[in-house]
Amino acid sequence: MIEVDALQKSFGKAREIEAVRAVTFDAPDGAITGLLGPNGAGKTTLLRMIATLVLPDAGRARVGGLDVVADRYAVRSRIGVLSDARGLYQRLTARENVRYFGRLHGLAGAALDARIDALFATLGLTPLAERRTAGFSQGEKMKVAIARALVHDPDTILLDEPTNGLDIMSVRTLRDELRALRGQGKCLLFSSHVMQEVAALCDRIVVLAHGRVVAAGTAEQLIERAGTAGLEDAFVQLIGSDEGLAA
Amino acid sequence: MTTSTTNAAVARTLAILRKELLDTLRDRRTGMVTLLSAICAGPIFLLLIFNLIASQAERARDLKLPVVGAVYAPALVGYLERQQVTVTQAPADYDAQIRRGDLDVVLIVDEAFAADVAQGKPGSVRLVFDRSRDRARPSIEQAESLLRGYNRLWGEQRLMLRGVASTVANPLRIDTSDLATPQQSGALVLFLVAYYGLFASVMGGMAVALDTTAGERERQSLEPLLMTPARPGEIVAGKWLAVSAFNALVVLLTLTGFYLTLKFAPLPPVGVPFLFGMREVFRFAIVLVPMVLMLPAILLYVGSRARAYKEAQANVSVLLFVVSLIPVVQLFMQRREPGWLMFVPVSAQYSLLNTSLRGEAPSLAQLASSWLAPAALIAIALIAVTRRLSRESILSGK
Repeated sequence: MIEVDALQKSFGKAREIEAVRAVTFDAPDGAITGLLGPNGAGKTTLLRMIATLVLPDAGRARVGGLDVVADRYAVRSRIGVLSDARGLYQRLTARENVRYFGRLHGLAGAALDARIDALFATLGLTPLAERRTAGFSQGEKMKVAIARALVHDPDTILLDEPTNGLDIMSVRTLRDELRALRGQGKCLLFSSHVMQEVAALCDRIVVLAHGRVVAAGTAEQLIERAGTAGLEDAFVQLIGSDEGLAA
Repeated sequence: MTTSTTNAAVARTLAILRKELLDTLRDRRTGMVTLLSAICAGPIFLLLIFNLIASQAERARDLKLPVVGAVYAPALVGYLERQQVTVTQAPADYDAQIRRGDLDVVLIVDEAFAADVAQGKPGSVRLVFDRSRDRARPSIEQAESLLRGYNRLWGEQRLMLRGVASTVANPLRIDTSDLATPQQSGALVLFLVAYYGLFASVMGGMAVALDTTAGERERQSLEPLLMTPARPGEIVAGKWLAVSAFNALVVLLTLTGFYLTLKFAPLPPVGVPFLFGMREVFRFAIVLVPMVLMLPAILLYVGSRARAYKEAQANVSVLLFVVSLIPVVQLFMQRREPGWLMFVPVSAQYSLLNTSLRGEAPSLAQLASSWLAPAALIAIALIAVTRRLSRESILSGK
């Protein structure tokens, strides 16, 4: 469960760039919540605040009841983050990459190895486990990054534009994996500027524009509210322009 | 802090240390370059220097002296030949050959030599050489000294003929006693060994330190790392320990390389019974400890300021320049070293390495003062890196 309450963040010398302005929304367990907005809408900043990497100027956010500022390290143990930055250690094998993050999360020994084996089996990474990641394809790298983000079995999973730069096959694998996680009752928050992607995957959609929540609800609710024929028109209507929406 | 949170922090720090070491040892390119330069370059330097010294000594011993107008002073030529000098007929273009470095020195006997001597005037001879050529210097000095010897011998004979003791013309007797122990001679070799030991402690950790900071940021693995429960301080401590460990390995290999070369390599005998035994290896290692720990901390800081590896490399060249210049400045500083030098990092270590090479042990007080500034710099640098990693701007491109 993610609860975001009037979260606010500005950048720049005089705090003149308002990236996130009083954003409030909830993301429940056992569901995929989509954060949809054009480029520059504040999605990454919002996710980074929830991920405890960036401190909010005002407002608060809680993950599983824990405050992202006061309990930041406890929150980190509860969340798994798959961001745009999916860099792996190329000289280490897939298993060593994931094991490193497992150790940083306090796992060790046989329990850690068993967890890695299970993750690799689900993701179809078992044949690649002992190979160095240097020669991996984008899709294979993404799978290792997912395993790394999930190694400590987090309740909450944040994904920032996770399909950037992936081919169709990899996107499908990712979707399947996310649905499986939803089936396990996890709370998933997924950001994207690609409407089709959000529509295909998300149970609830939070539409973000210029740092503000402009609408929230299921796809049907959004269409109804905008009074348009289809989802695409609804988004354009809600955001106020179609700028930055193209895939 | 409770025991369990402390244990968790230590466990995370060790996990980072372990991963960084594994990552470094897997990096074959950096490993080869670092190890090759550490193990091979020093000994190769030594071999070259020793051969240079040996060949100079040989040139002085087996002087070949081309002479112009040997027929005008047969007695002088006879004297030179008795002194084991090979006298040859000088080529016509001897001055060009000297400029090119093909000839070291040429003796010219004046046409009027015999006539001048007969009239009681000094006979004139001329030595032609190019003193800017280091290689030729022993031959030049040997030729000069032989001519002075001939001059003195001839003069003494004349005085004896007139019944005058030779001491009348030589009122001053110059004796010298060189206080340099055998280890103190060969200053250039000393300089190189100390310099190289110092340099190993700089170069040893460089590639690794930059790779683990700027490289990590460039490869986009820093953000995932910062999202783990590992605190920035733990990340910095783990990385610092890993780079220092690798640095220490490189320094030890370099010293071992020197030790083995000087002990077993077929070095030409140059009259410099150079001492670099296990005792010196040990003293070197002790003296270099502050460097081995300080440079990784500074390099991590430089690396953390850069967005990419190449950028970090450019920044680090300034640091390298300063560190490599200090010993050179000290080499040319002829005065006695001032006391405060012990508090200057790099300078103090260079000076103590020289002390060790002269066969003396650095005192505890000297070692302690040589530690102060590095300890402070390590603390400052590590805190600065930690603060950088805690800043939100480390996530963006800035």
